[in-house]
Amino acid sequence: MTVEEQIREIVARITRVDPSIITRESTFKDIKADSLDVVQALVAVEELFEIEIPDEEAQKFQNFGNFVSYVESRVSKAEKV
Amino acid sequence: MSLEGKLALVTGGGRGIGKAIALKLASQGADIIINFFRHRETAEETAREIEALGVKAETMRANVGDPSKIEQMFDTIESKHGRLDILISNAASGVGRPVMEVDTKAWEWTMDINARALLLCTQRAAKLMEGRGGKVVSISSLGSSFVLPNYTVVGVSKAALEALTRYLAIELAPQNICVNTVAASAVETDALKFYFKEGLANASHYLTPAGRMVAPEDVANVVAFLCSEEAFMIRGQTVIVDGGTSVGLFAAAGKGGE
Repeated sequence: MTVEEQIREIVARITRVDPSIITRESTFKDIKADSLDVVQALVAVEELFEIEIPDEEAQKFQNFGNFVSYVESRVSKAEKV
Repeated sequence: MSLEGKLALVTGGGRGIGKAIALKLASQGADIIINFFRHRETAEETAREIEALGVKAETMRANVGDPSKIEQMFDTIESKHGRLDILISNAASGVGRPVMEVDTKAWEWTMDINARALLLCTQRAAKLMEGRGGKVVSISSLGSSFVLPNYTVVGVSKAALEALTRYLAIELAPQNICVNTVAASAVETDALKFYFKEGLANASHYLTPAGRMVAPEDVANVVAFLCSEEAFMIRGQTVIVDGGTSVGLFAAAGKGGE
């Protein structure tokens, strides 16, 4: 599974929506995610990829695609180290 | 009051009330471990402010809602310091919803962070206080005893915290560990701004007889006193810091009729 697929699965599980409705353009609002859903998704992604996503960064995510891109950049950085 | 040479862990110590407590304890000479979860930058900034006071400061990331993360944090403290003198269980979270909309997810998230963390942190802290005594102070809220709008699950978690404080105080008394909690009314912090945004708070509810809102430092002053030897005989108490709000409810209602 790609990073994107793994994150989509996490977000879908937490917000209880079908993964297929989450596109890179989806906002948290589109999938009716409340603030608790967002925090829980962040925590689950952090644990899966063993990275830290500070709120200062997370607040910049406009949509699912931003979230995925951020995690991808962090994961690829970690692989290079 | 001096806390020179003492080591204090402040959960959620990077900002808001936790930050004010960390700075207050540091100003009295305590070295501080700041636990944070979501806001690393602010926690590190607070650590720098603490170091500027001439004591040691370090940051430790952990979600206190997750028992395994609490274990890891205390494992680190144990191996690095081998002791702890003061535990401030301050980290809190919550979901602002009316009672009919509270689901198990919101309930568990809030209870785990606000109430269970005090139990798990104190169990580990007490071992690090063995033979030396210590202080445990948690932060509660008027919402434990009074109904605030959309505050159900937080209020319930704080009621659990206060009850737990009494049990801890009695069972840990033989080890010279003093356990108390400080219950504040609405305090001017980022968290309050969040609740305003969520439609939870209404300024009119918080007009206090003391003439102003409670500041983080007001809470920190009382916490620091409870950490001092002067407070040795205070055990299992909930100390209310609200500028008189809770006892002045009917007086405030009378004003409306004038």
